[in-house]
Amino acid sequence: MSKLEIDRNEVLRYLGYRNQSIDEATDKIIDQSIEEIGDLMEARYVYKFFDLKKDDGFLLEGTNLRLGGRDIKGHLAEADSCIVMGVTLGHRVDRAIRYYEKLSMARAMILDACASTAVEAVCDRVNEDLLDMVRVNKRTLTSRYSPGYGDLSLDMQSPILDVLGAKGSIGLSATLHNILIPRKSVTAIMGIVDEDYRQADADCIGCPKYDDCSYRKGGGRCGY
Amino acid sequence: MTIVAIAREAEGVDIRERLKKEVLVFDGAMGTMLQTRGLKLGELPEVVNIEKPEMVRQIHRDYIDAGAMIITSNTFGANELKLKNSPYGLEDVIHAAVENAKIAIGHGDNYIALDIGPIGELLEPMGSLKFEDAYDIFKRQVVQGVKDGVDLILIETMTDLYEAKAAVLAAKENSSLPVFATMSFEANMRTFTGTTPLSMVMTLEGLGVDALGINCSLGPKEIEPILDEILSYSKIPVMVQANAGLPTILDKRPVYNVLAEEYAYYGRKFIEKGVRIIGGCCGTTDEYIRTMSEKIRGLKPVFLGMEGRSGVCTPTKAISIDGVKVIGERINPTGKKLFKEALKGGDIDYILREAIEQVEAGAHILDVNVGLPEIDEEKMMVDVVKEIQSILDVPLQIDSTDPRVIEAGLRVYNGKAIVNSVNGEDQVLDRILPIVKKYGAAIVGLTLDERGIPDTALGRYKIAEKIVRKAEDHGIARGDVYIDCLTLTAAAQQKEVRETLDALRLVKELGVKTVLGVSNVSFGLPNRKLINKTFFAAALYQGLDLPIINPLDKEMMDTILASNLLWNKDRGGNEYLAGHRGRGHKPLDRPDRDLDLSDIIIRGIREDAKEATSKLLGEYEALEIVNKYLIPALDTVGDRYEKEIIFLPQLIQSAETVKASFEILKESLAASSGPSISRGKVLLATVKGDIHDIGKNIVKVLLENYNFQVIDLGKDVPIERIVEKVQGEDIRLVGLSALMTTTVRSMEETIAELRKVKTNIKIMVGGAVLNREYASMIKADYYGNDAKEAVRIAKEIYK
Repeated sequence: MSKLEIDRNEVLRYLGYRNQSIDEATDKIIDQSIEEIGDLMEARYVYKFFDLKKDDGFLLEGTNLRLGGRDIKGHLAEADSCIVMGVTLGHRVDRAIRYYEKLSMARAMILDACASTAVEAVCDRVNEDLLDMVRVNKRTLTSRYSPGYGDLSLDMQSPILDVLGAKGSIGLSATLHNILIPRKSVTAIMGIVDEDYRQADADCIGCPKYDDCSYRKGGGRCGY
Repeated sequence: MTIVAIAREAEGVDIRERLKKEVLVFDGAMGTMLQTRGLKLGELPEVVNIEKPEMVRQIHRDYIDAGAMIITSNTFGANELKLKNSPYGLEDVIHAAVENAKIAIGHGDNYIALDIGPIGELLEPMGSLKFEDAYDIFKRQVVQGVKDGVDLILIETMTDLYEAKAAVLAAKENSSLPVFATMSFEANMRTFTGTTPLSMVMTLEGLGVDALGINCSLGPKEIEPILDEILSYSKIPVMVQANAGLPTILDKRPVYNVLAEEYAYYGRKFIEKGVRIIGGCCGTTDEYIRTMSEKIRGLKPVFLGMEGRSGVCTPTKAISIDGVKVIGERINPTGKKLFKEALKGGDIDYILREAIEQVEAGAHILDVNVGLPEIDEEKMMVDVVKEIQSILDVPLQIDSTDPRVIEAGLRVYNGKAIVNSVNGEDQVLDRILPIVKKYGAAIVGLTLDERGIPDTALGRYKIAEKIVRKAEDHGIARGDVYIDCLTLTAAAQQKEVRETLDALRLVKELGVKTVLGVSNVSFGLPNRKLINKTFFAAALYQGLDLPIINPLDKEMMDTILASNLLWNKDRGGNEYLAGHRGRGHKPLDRPDRDLDLSDIIIRGIREDAKEATSKLLGEYEALEIVNKYLIPALDTVGDRYEKEIIFLPQLIQSAETVKASFEILKESLAASSGPSISRGKVLLATVKGDIHDIGKNIVKVLLENYNFQVIDLGKDVPIERIVEKVQGEDIRLVGLSALMTTTVRSMEETIAELRKVKTNIKIMVGGAVLNREYASMIKADYYGNDAKEAVRIAKEIYK
């Protein structure tokens, strides 16, 4: 994977930045951390294409994985097939964040924000490649949908990793409580739809943080 | 389900005997064969043992017909976690799998390997599974396998050395069967978790497996360079089970790009290089094993006869003792008041800072001594070892006189460690050496015995000789014995100082490495540094390999650089020059050196806080500094944060600056044994099931700033642990953190249990998914929407 651009504004957004004046020292740590995350991350990804069989939910053909619930149904309503993907930055990032937590919390926080930005950037990159692939057949992709969004249970994490064979191929697994390990990782499902498909903007109502969301208060969005 | 018990006729020759004379051939993939027979993605292959036994048996038969001497039970994922949603119990699955293998073998003389793959969930510190729990999971598999009569245990496809260690211990402690262990590497010569081939060899060899090697993830061509490295280190037989190349997806099925003929070519090549056990992994079928068996027929094993090397390791870093390697001495309470306080108060962060500083200063290995009569040394050793290895990749030296502490430390250590120490007393040797052997550690041998330290070099040499002999009797190679010739005090025993140095030279003739603590020499003399440095230079000249010193002492570290240059070890003087580059220049971007402590805090310039605080201590009492500088500056920073003039990272930097200042003040307070400045105790924990703890740690930093004593139980904390701690200590406030909707439930349970045992306890909660309504729903007293709020709450409670 060629060098990834880490968007500084995204990093700041994860840090809860709202136009405060950033002093020189903090500024420097942010720059260093952006540099450092580039060296630390060992980005790996895996994806698979599946035909969708609609019944009670969606069955991914050739697997025993069934996606259930209202929200994923809406998300994949117009899809006849989908791509499931897993992305991870690897263990070195986790270890470095753990290390900085003992040395300097400020650096740990900032590196953590850089890592969150980086994993999204890797997802975007993979997403672009996949989009190029499906465009050949005059198709396009829905946005990425992950366990934990809406009513798609986090319990789907393990079955998704299993059908991807993600543990063996990219070293991505989950804890008993469905936390992805390495921590800076993403699993997502994208529907494959006709190229003239337009996705309705997801709104924030229904999000448990609706009332307290600091992004929304600032007029922004968290990105989910 | 009816299962026919089969009496096996093959029982006879132990596979270990055959390994001495023959190349052993394993079977190929099980998963691949099951998938071509209709197993779906996401389905558990182990369930097929019970639901379609004939399918499994036929696969085994195909491999036996193809020439596999050893077949692998279909139990790769047969562990309690992977089977938790299956209708079948673990014991039934393993039993059925082994019976299938037995039925397939019939009257043949094939062997059955109990297959054990990774648990599927990662161990701490990467994941949340405890080492001890991983051991128990593997143990259940081993116990059932032994009961069913397998011939050997195959631990394979491991990517985490720690998990491999748990599996090997479970296999060896619960069976007397041969144990083979392989790990999966990527093309970058590391496993997913960063384990290197050398670290794998050092660790697994030490744990006493019968064969080690590499399997899965790559094809034979990509495996070859990794294999070459493993072969160049390993003293024990090496095993390879490659994939049939790399998979590409064709018509939604993986297709591997290495065909049977090419696979067999590599198989032969590998055996000619010294591989002693060969088979196949993903993508290989009976056809691959057949072609390879034919191609290697008649090949005799090649015995490489590798010499062991002296060294220690973590999974990601191996230190070869092939030059001077520094052992940092600072994790030791002897004569250190603050360190003792930290041990008594369970302040592991303090110990971790000592560890970090030493590594930053250039220590290669850290000595860990946490012995204090008032504490549970065994538990503390386990905690400290686990914590250090979760953030640093520095090998450790377990330092204790108590065999239980040594064993507990070695058991949870991830890699190959050193034990400090044994001496020439039979009683000590007989007690400690078996532990050292079991865990594959290196051992420090002190040249003294029941009669004390011999006066002469020759006397110490004789004890060293005895230690080496005894170690070898226990199966410990002399390359893993590090002899300490013991430094005496010049002020008391001037004449004997040089005996140590003479002994050092003498014992090296035994083929051992040498270790020495040096600072004793100057005890009772003025200008100790000068004496230390002079003695140290002489010891290095005599060939000292492992000095135990304070790596923060720049002059000592420089002495090593100078010695390496003078004695032509640092060829061309590159290290010496690198070590002196940039010295003598003033740091460039420090224009504001003369700021006062308040400004330093407000600007968050942590590196200046210590000096400024020390200066102020000349004028003021510690408590005055807190009230006059620290608190007002913190209030200013807090105010600016609330008004959104600064944002969170800046607030935290200021908080950490205050912390640095506090460390200096604490030293002064400890020295004067003045009053405690703590406002009260606050317990913090990230609840059971959740491992997001960065938010909790931020709260901790701020609370400590305001003089609250924080008892930090960490993340994924069981309810009982929190309850127990609250009962045992004077704690009025508990802070709980959870980041996921799913773990808010365990927060609620924790609160309910806390209320039962301590009715007047106050509980504050925080975390991304919480809000005020959730907080009151789960019956918390307070909701802290940020760290600043947590401080306000704590102040209110400890008014």
